[in-house]
Amino acid sequence: MSTPPLLHVENLGIHFGSPADPVKAVDGISFEMQTGETLAVVGESGSGKSVTALALTRLLATPPARIVSGKIEFEGRDVLQLPDSSLRSLRGKQIAYIFQEPSSSLNPVFTIGYQIREAIELHRPEVDDVKREIIRALDTVGIREPAKRLDDYPHQLSGGMQQRVMIAMALACQPKLLVADEPTTALDVTIQKQIIDLLKELKQTSNMAILLITHNFGLVSDFADRVAVMFRGKIVETGPTAEVLRNPQHLYTRALIECVPKLGQKQHRLKVIDYAGIK
Amino acid sequence: MTTYIIRRILLLVPTLIGITLFTFLLIRLAPGNAAMLKGGGENGGRAMTAEQRLATIKLYGLDKPWYIAYGDWVGRICRLDLGESWKDHRSVTTKIRERLPVTMSIAGTALVLSYLLAIPLGVIAALKRGQALDRSISFVVFILYSIPSFVAALLLILFVAGGDYLNLLPMYGIQSINASEMGTLPRLWDRILHMILPVICLTYASLASISRYTRVSMLETLGQDFVRTARAKGLPERLVILRHALRNALIPIITIFALELPVLIGGAIIIESIFTLPGMGNLMFEALEYRDNPVIMGITVLAACVTLLSYLAADILYVVVDPRISYE
Amino acid sequence: MNSVTTTTETYVQRTWRHFSADSFARNGLRIVIALFIMAAFAPFLANSHAIIRMADGQWSFPVFHSLQPIEWRFLFYVPLAGMIYLCRNRFFAKPGHSVLYLAALIVLIEIFIGFTHPVNDTTNDRDRPASFKLMPPIPYSPIESTPDSFSPPSWKHLCGTDSTGRDIAARMLHGARTSLSIGFVAQSIALTIGVAIGGLAGYYRGWIDIGTCRFIEIMDCFPPLLLILVAINLFDSDKGNNMFYIMAVIGLTSWTGVARLVRGEFLRLSALPFTLAAKALGASDGRIILRHLLPNSLGPILVAGTFGVASAILIESSLSFLGFGMQAPTPSWGDILSDARRYIDFAWWLAFFPGLAILITIMSYNFVGEGLRDAVDPRLRVK
Repeated sequence: MSTPPLLHVENLGIHFGSPADPVKAVDGISFEMQTGETLAVVGESGSGKSVTALALTRLLATPPARIVSGKIEFEGRDVLQLPDSSLRSLRGKQIAYIFQEPSSSLNPVFTIGYQIREAIELHRPEVDDVKREIIRALDTVGIREPAKRLDDYPHQLSGGMQQRVMIAMALACQPKLLVADEPTTALDVTIQKQIIDLLKELKQTSNMAILLITHNFGLVSDFADRVAVMFRGKIVETGPTAEVLRNPQHLYTRALIECVPKLGQKQHRLKVIDYAGIK
Repeated sequence: MTTYIIRRILLLVPTLIGITLFTFLLIRLAPGNAAMLKGGGENGGRAMTAEQRLATIKLYGLDKPWYIAYGDWVGRICRLDLGESWKDHRSVTTKIRERLPVTMSIAGTALVLSYLLAIPLGVIAALKRGQALDRSISFVVFILYSIPSFVAALLLILFVAGGDYLNLLPMYGIQSINASEMGTLPRLWDRILHMILPVICLTYASLASISRYTRVSMLETLGQDFVRTARAKGLPERLVILRHALRNALIPIITIFALELPVLIGGAIIIESIFTLPGMGNLMFEALEYRDNPVIMGITVLAACVTLLSYLAADILYVVVDPRISYE
Repeated sequence: MNSVTTTTETYVQRTWRHFSADSFARNGLRIVIALFIMAAFAPFLANSHAIIRMADGQWSFPVFHSLQPIEWRFLFYVPLAGMIYLCRNRFFAKPGHSVLYLAALIVLIEIFIGFTHPVNDTTNDRDRPASFKLMPPIPYSPIESTPDSFSPPSWKHLCGTDSTGRDIAARMLHGARTSLSIGFVAQSIALTIGVAIGGLAGYYRGWIDIGTCRFIEIMDCFPPLLLILVAINLFDSDKGNNMFYIMAVIGLTSWTGVARLVRGEFLRLSALPFTLAAKALGASDGRIILRHLLPNSLGPILVAGTFGVASAILIESSLSFLGFGMQAPTPSWGDILSDARRYIDFAWWLAFFPGLAILITIMSYNFVGEGLRDAVDPRLRVK
């Protein structure tokens, strides 16, 4: 296949702390994403998945964090070497983010209409009727009466609606890659399903690639094309979702899959991962 | 919104009553005043004339039970009648009104100036946290905060005004002696020159504390999630900080002026007496020396009411500026 | 399985560790202690009486004759407190015995003080001939006028003299006493009132809380300096030259900040589960307040207290500067400065030295306060 990958990460290493005794949050990982593909990165807290996601557009605060090795190539260009101006046009326009806590990720003193407008005016200056675009974006994510919602402040919306607004804001610039960092973790289960369904819908209507970061293997099947499992800074297994779920190779993957409670099956105890047994 | 303001104003009433009651009780409890009723009564060693005594008894209702006297007194205050000065028999209200502009211009300038200077300082210190610039700003600010206003005034006078060293700025008064002979523009400039040192003395302490609060608030805000979102959207760093972060960080800072105002009023007494400025602070100082009770009490009530109003303004401003606060 | 040894340290130890890590705070504390010692031993540092004198074949210690009872008490009790602190483990090991010894010691000290006869004369040991004499470092008394008025700093008078020839250095040393003692006592009064009122409001809530908040609101509307000036002016015909009066007035007007703080802390703490647990165990209100809530609030209270002492010293200086506080001949930094204002044209030393002294004192207390605040901050917990 001669089409270059959308995203090519090679031997990425990110350390925290003193150089003498660093905490290796990301320890030499490599993965790829194709255009329009959905990749799920699964792992527990501290496995380095969020750090990886933030590193993709150099959103990590580099005093405490240090990118010590590797390259991140988006459409052939190494993000780690980009000058600031190119980086800024990458952010939001090519790669957009949605974060875990929608209530604190939206600026509380600006209306949601304003915040979406900001994104559109920044990256799509050719748009004439910005207001119509905003309403369209809000409508796409399933917000009712979007014209009225324009002047609402984030705190006036429920958690689920706030996350939809974030998705709308991310989509308003028609990015090629959407990075979703645990987008449903802070929401309750019924809303979780709604958001994931929304993302599935968006996946079908646009050719947008989605990088889903999660610790919940249950979200992955039926949504992601491929899955990569991260453990303590390394990718221990990767492959098409159906394959990995059916036939997990690595001990950790197996343990993670078993952690998901199965509907209908009687369980006396939740599965706990035995770390000592994993390398 | 208007209902909120009206409601807040109504809530002021009990506090106003409290203030006036407190002041009134102070008056009644003062030994000098009580003695007056018995026909005696000194005024710092000076015997009072019969008509002074009568006027005072009438003003404070010393011959009536306290609740009636209090009602009378409050009524008079509402009519802006604060009695007559013991010193020169002029209406206290008139004397205050004469002196008010000078004090307000100096205190107002000091407040505005301290905000204008402190906010950038605080923001810079927060942005360069831990680096040499931040540390030096913090250190200088710390020293400023610890210098008493009268020490600063004396040192400034010593080195910058009059005296044997530099003779850049005038030492006394609000305008030069020959001010009436000057044209409008030279007179204005003369005024400004006279105001520079007093304003500096009133500004630096507020500057220090506001800049520290700004730094803390800015640091807190910069760590919040929405700043990361703004960056992830691709906004230039300048806009992330000035539009998204600063707007949030300033919310608590805006309302600090209400806390600074009482300090400024207290400071005005000292500064105006050092620089011999014809303001309210100096009026208070003279009244205290002379023991001119009507003036003392009048200014006290006025100062307390002004402070109360500034708290009200701060509350309303807070609601206007922070959309999360509802009008409840 | 490796054995992990954990060192447990008490809250006080951890706070001290954080505090001493900050060099500003450490040095600030050193200066504060140095000031305290200087103030306590002022009679030995600046006095016109000699410390040791040998004349006509007789040894005498004139300095001790000039000590007032309160200075004697200072001389005994401060080192005593220091020694108790240093041997505190042994002291509290057998509290019954220790208290007995302590009481006996106190009785002896008081009897001794009763026998002293402080002599209030202005004899001047500098000029009296003697075979041997050891004068204090600054051989002038703060209230002693000399004919050298307005002399600039020299070897004779390290900080110059004022309008009546009194040595400024001596006045500054003794003035430290005035300022520091007023600051401490006034702030202690403010702390006591503030903790009491704020604590009760925060614990019992309801009407007590509402009333207290209203009262604090009302008091806060008065600019502090204004209120103090008015209070001093109204009630004392002597224009407030009475030290205890000033302490009381400052204390009675500065408690609102502490009260707010303690109220907030008590409100927060009494909502935590441990208070409920204590109540469920049958603890009385007093016990809960004194044994549970108060120790947990000590951090912020101490911080407020430190800043409060600095502020009280500042207010006292302002008062005497304006002419409403301690007046001459009692030495006070503010008083020297008010002199300075009049003669600023040629007597720069009158402004410089006391100004510097006030600045250093307040700065040191602020450093200590800042250091304490950072050390006590629960956000720095995980170290």
